[in-house]
Amino acid sequence: MSEPANPVSQDGPGGTMDHLDEMTCLLYAERQLDRARAQAVSAHTQDCAACRTLLRALDRESRLLTRAMLEEDEPLPSRLAEFQERARKSFGWIWGLVFGLAGTGVYALYTTFVEPAQVRLEAAGFGGTSLLSLLIFQGAFWKGWQSVITLLEVLAMLTVAGFGVAVFRRRLRRGSALALVLAGLCAALALPAPAAATVFHKGETYELAKDDTVKSDIFVTGARARIDGTIDGDLFFFGQSIDISGHIKGDAIIFAQSVRVNGQIEGNIRSFSNNLTITGTVGKNVLTFNELVNLDSAGKVGGSLTAFAQSVGIDGRLGRDLMVMAGETIISGTIDGEVRAKGRNLSIGSSAQVAGAIHYEGDNPASVASGAKLATPVEFTKMRHKSRYTEGHYYVWRVIWTAAFVLFGLVLFLLLPKFAAETVSAGERFGAPVGLGVLVFFGVPIAAVIACVTVVGIPLGVLTLGLWLLALFCAEIVVGTVVGNWILGKPADTWGLIGRMAAGFVIVRIVYTPLANLHVIGALVGLGIWMWGIGSIALALYNRLQPTTSQAAMPGPMPPVSLPPHTTVGGIQPA
Amino acid sequence: MSEPGVTETTEAVARARAGDADAWGELYRNFAPAIFRFCRRALPTREDAEDATMDIFIKLQKNLSQYDETRSFSAWLYRVAANHCWDILRRRKIRQDKETEDVEDVPLEHPDPSQLDKLIEQKTSEEVRQALHKLGARARMALVLRYYSDMSYDEIADELGVRRAFVGVVLLRARHELRQALEGKSALAAGGTS
Repeated sequence: MSEPANPVSQDGPGGTMDHLDEMTCLLYAERQLDRARAQAVSAHTQDCAACRTLLRALDRESRLLTRAMLEEDEPLPSRLAEFQERARKSFGWIWGLVFGLAGTGVYALYTTFVEPAQVRLEAAGFGGTSLLSLLIFQGAFWKGWQSVITLLEVLAMLTVAGFGVAVFRRRLRRGSALALVLAGLCAALALPAPAAATVFHKGETYELAKDDTVKSDIFVTGARARIDGTIDGDLFFFGQSIDISGHIKGDAIIFAQSVRVNGQIEGNIRSFSNNLTITGTVGKNVLTFNELVNLDSAGKVGGSLTAFAQSVGIDGRLGRDLMVMAGETIISGTIDGEVRAKGRNLSIGSSAQVAGAIHYEGDNPASVASGAKLATPVEFTKMRHKSRYTEGHYYVWRVIWTAAFVLFGLVLFLLLPKFAAETVSAGERFGAPVGLGVLVFFGVPIAAVIACVTVVGIPLGVLTLGLWLLALFCAEIVVGTVVGNWILGKPADTWGLIGRMAAGFVIVRIVYTPLANLHVIGALVGLGIWMWGIGSIALALYNRLQPTTSQAAMPGPMPPVSLPPHTTVGGIQPA
Repeated sequence: MSEPGVTETTEAVARARAGDADAWGELYRNFAPAIFRFCRRALPTREDAEDATMDIFIKLQKNLSQYDETRSFSAWLYRVAANHCWDILRRRKIRQDKETEDVEDVPLEHPDPSQLDKLIEQKTSEEVRQALHKLGARARMALVLRYYSDMSYDEIADELGVRRAFVGVVLLRARHELRQALEGKSALAAGGTS
């Protein structure tokens, strides 16, 4: 040790004896000085009464602190005293509830959705009777109305997938899991036909001349586009209007005000536009969100047509089914599949031919011209605007949904037990999650839409929106778990948390169901639950992204200047 | 702290690790009061302390297999508790309220010993506990680690993420804050003799 053995400056400016500084005294009292320095301090205090008193005061202060801290000033709260016992007691009935609801959910999902969906898929020519085919078919969201999946189907699929991961994850080593993921990605990338490098075009107008060919996918942004040539790939267009008179061998994905298809599209049309007119040929399916949709008399769609629009006119030929949700639907052409229509009016002209059944739910009965050739009469259901809450089956469905969500929550909690606990813990802070929830609830969709404006941002925007939707699904589960924790106390483990989730979720549903009858209040409470839940998830994610407790993450060490000049560490052993 | 004997604890830990629920209950009953008190001293509110106590035992149950039986169980348990509480405070960023202040104001002069002695003489344990809750998170945590858990300077340094050489500074500063809180004036805390 190169430091002087004596930390005490004996002579001050005035020639009088200096005292020990408080830091040295504390380190001495706490036996943190090395032997030499401790001996120097000891020697000093032999002669200096003030320093001796200070040492004694510091020691008394230490003892006062210890006494104050160790004193049993308050008993163990009953919540903690009962913690173990309650966790054990709650176990039995909660498990009965969880598995009962889960069983109900699985059965309801299968009989109500999966089985009929399979039957419909087979009828639509997709074949296969296994659940796998349904899952694979799910990937064809854009391919036709049959595959417009319901929320319950999403839940069912996520649940099945989650169960799979939960069961097998322990058997997968990190390396093999990574290999699986990479292999899956490679397979996914290999599935589409290999195409040449994608072409991007940005400008006021874009024209592909008649004899020109683009041998790849093409992204076009601009006010107007005209395609007279051939695109040997997919077309993505974001702009004001587009006229397709040429030949597209892939799909056309279009965000525009006006879309006109005079030529041939071998794949699908996925359109978000103001009006869509098809006078040419679409080889596969059309999915469109428009104000006006018109399949001209010369137009032909090989697959099905799914439209959410103000007005839909079918004068041409449709190879498969028609599903519309529209104010006005007029059918004068030929439909080789079924018709499922929902809206204000449905008119079927005298030249219309429909090979399949026609299911129509509307305000007014369908108007069918005498010359129309229909395989079956129109099956009309009057659209009811009265409160659904007065109907018994509404409550049956509430139970089924509850069961499905509990099952979904169970899988999520098993998959991500730590994150689930963190999310619930975040939810118990009320203010922060609700505030953040408002921001996320409104902000994320806006940000996602803005991201979609640019071509590069589309995947990010879609992914963000997907995650946002997933978080919305989970929001009620989170709130339910927080409520479960209030009632049953903190869980001892993940299964306890799941039990509380099930119990809390059921309670939230029971309380919320009558409230939902009161429209404004119901909407506000529902919104509140969403924001609270989504905010909790966001907060937990935020906390996760914070640096963990580590030396590096802590505030920097205090500047050395704050130490007394002779302080050392090491500590002297008690004499 | 009225904690059970070392042998009893070691046996209970061994049985709890083997999945004996009763042994786990025994550990909980024996240590929950002390851990609750620790959390009560370290965290701002009673509710925080209750939540933290439960979380610590849940964590403990999960991580019991990591406990090295050659070391003291209670010391290990306090480390877990300290980590948990400090993590809570860190996440809430409470530490920012005072910890970002310049520490150069830690006085090195000789305070008036008689005044300090008088202050200690006058104050009760209850007053000290109340004053403790007026301190910044790091100051409070440092005092709790040292005078409740009896942790060494090395352990405190590790826990708070400061260099070992500065633990004394943190503790001294915490004492000054405490004196300020107890006295409501700064003479003693500043180390002045006036």
